[in-house]
Amino acid sequence: MSIIEAKGIYKTYQETKIPVNALNGVDLKIEEGEFTAIVGPSGSGKTTLLNILGGLDLPTEGDIFIEGTNLKQLSSRQLIDFRLHNIGFVFQAYNLIPVLTARENTEFILELQKVPKKERRKQATQLLEAVGIADKADHRPGQLSGGQQQRVAVARALASQPRFIIADEPTANLDSKSTNELLEIMAEMNRKYRSTFIFATHDQRVMDKARRIVTIDDGKIIGDETFEGR
Amino acid sequence: MKTLLKIAWRNLWRNRRRTILTAAAVILALSLALFMRSMQFGWYEQMIRAGVSQSGHMQVHDTGYQANQSIDRAFFYREETGEALHSLKEVKSVLPELQTFSLASYKKQTKGVLIAGIDAKRYDKQNNLSGKIIQGHYLSGSDDVLLGDKLAQFLKMKVGDTLVLLGQGYRGITSYGIYRVAGIFHLPSIEMNSGVVYMNLKTAQDFAYPYQPGLLTSLTVFLKDPGDLFTVKKEIEQKLGPAYEVITWKTMLSDMLQTIKVDNISGQIMLLILYIIAAFGIFSTVLMMTMEKRKQYAVMVSIGMERRKLVWVSIFETFIISLTGILIGLLLASPLVFYLHAHPIPITGEMAKMYLQFNIAPVLPFSVKTHVFLSQVVIVFSLSLMSALYPVIYLSRFNILNAFRH
Repeated sequence: MSIIEAKGIYKTYQETKIPVNALNGVDLKIEEGEFTAIVGPSGSGKTTLLNILGGLDLPTEGDIFIEGTNLKQLSSRQLIDFRLHNIGFVFQAYNLIPVLTARENTEFILELQKVPKKERRKQATQLLEAVGIADKADHRPGQLSGGQQQRVAVARALASQPRFIIADEPTANLDSKSTNELLEIMAEMNRKYRSTFIFATHDQRVMDKARRIVTIDDGKIIGDETFEGR
Repeated sequence: MKTLLKIAWRNLWRNRRRTILTAAAVILALSLALFMRSMQFGWYEQMIRAGVSQSGHMQVHDTGYQANQSIDRAFFYREETGEALHSLKEVKSVLPELQTFSLASYKKQTKGVLIAGIDAKRYDKQNNLSGKIIQGHYLSGSDDVLLGDKLAQFLKMKVGDTLVLLGQGYRGITSYGIYRVAGIFHLPSIEMNSGVVYMNLKTAQDFAYPYQPGLLTSLTVFLKDPGDLFTVKKEIEQKLGPAYEVITWKTMLSDMLQTIKVDNISGQIMLLILYIIAAFGIFSTVLMMTMEKRKQYAVMVSIGMERRKLVWVSIFETFIISLTGILIGLLLASPLVFYLHAHPIPITGEMAKMYLQFNIAPVLPFSVKTHVFLSQVVIVFSLSLMSALYPVIYLSRFNILNAFRH
């Protein structure tokens, strides 16, 4: 069974008098362990699709199933709890909690999952080591570079041991070196733990790493290619 | 919960200046409110104290005397009446008094006066009348009388002169007598200084009705704790029965209480304006804090934090700021209020004269009663906490994706 199954997804925004159709009948399946990039021009609907896959938004029409659970049937509270246990997020602007240190940011999600203190400390340390930022564990986001912050964000996303990780333009604010390092870390996590990654990206370097590229335009999937051997 | 507190605490110190500014609004609101209320209540307490020192906490009269204060409504003292009052543990002292009106003459001058027949020793203990004597001495002999300085001036009398009193006594008899001016007093009240003649109770009783001893118009009751007023009133009424009326100072000084009530309303309006200004100050900062952290809130909910936990973070932030402001406000305002309680501000000029007319010392004391502090702390604290309502409502409803866009 697929981890994610999107069936006939339509999304219409009605914020002005003229409705905007962001997604126009998207059908998509994501299997466990995929390293998938969703690509397309600006305004094509990448982020909207990612938000729906991540349970941050609900489709106007159609259904989204995560391992058999229809997200449309969950209440707002259930959806929050579902995200906590099943979905990891990496944002373009890092979006760490500015008043918590790197370790505390990583531990925070474990605390929400009610993991005991000792255990979460151990896991957070391991994750920070895995993303190569253990020496900055006690630094707050403001004291870290963009690349370092994004590594912490990856560690935080992985901390909850989610079914999949949504990463919206994770490399958009990073230089080449940081981008390569970050992609390497995520690819390593994907290989090692079979963590499923779904990216929305414009970045060719991300596309080069992806084993599947889904192309979207005008809210429709217009291409879906798989690259074996990457 | 510990982490939520930690986030709230660090959020506050992330923008130190704004936090200090918000706390300063609370400090200012509390300090000003405390100062204003303490001054106002201090003044009321002083007025009431001055009134009660004359009237007592309550008076026992013959039924109907309060409505028609005539010597014909006097009553004869009975042992059991005195015992009934003294047996109550809440009662500090009971002063018998006989009051009647009379004409006072000396040579060619005559004036209507109130004769106050008092138990000289006990009255002095309660009111320190001997301390107000500016010429001569306090009551000692049976024909001694004390005059206010204004009355003495009007009658052109001095200590040792003989005063003639002529008036209507009890049961329609004509009362008259010749008395020696033993002393001249000066009280804060101009009315008292120009219209009252004090004499021994026995002398006044002989003046008003020499045929039967023990005539009184009132038994003035002073309590150990003014808070027992209504309990004691009820007990006395039960013990003495319908032949007597028990009038509390709240009835006797109803005009004064009305003045206080009106003044209190004007004070409350001023305070309301102050509260509104302070509330806007606090609210605008809380609003800024909420708007600034929209993205942070969105991230936290995205990754799986329940909204109610975010609400707690926001409540903690407001609570910490409010509590800090309240504590500092109390620390700053209290010493000043206590100092002004111990060293009241003196009042001079026309205002002082007006105070004296009402038998009130011309000073502005500050109240340090617990309720003054408690009420302001509760109001300002509630007001500050109310400003947390906005983030609470926002956090319960906000749209994650909209918050991300900002």
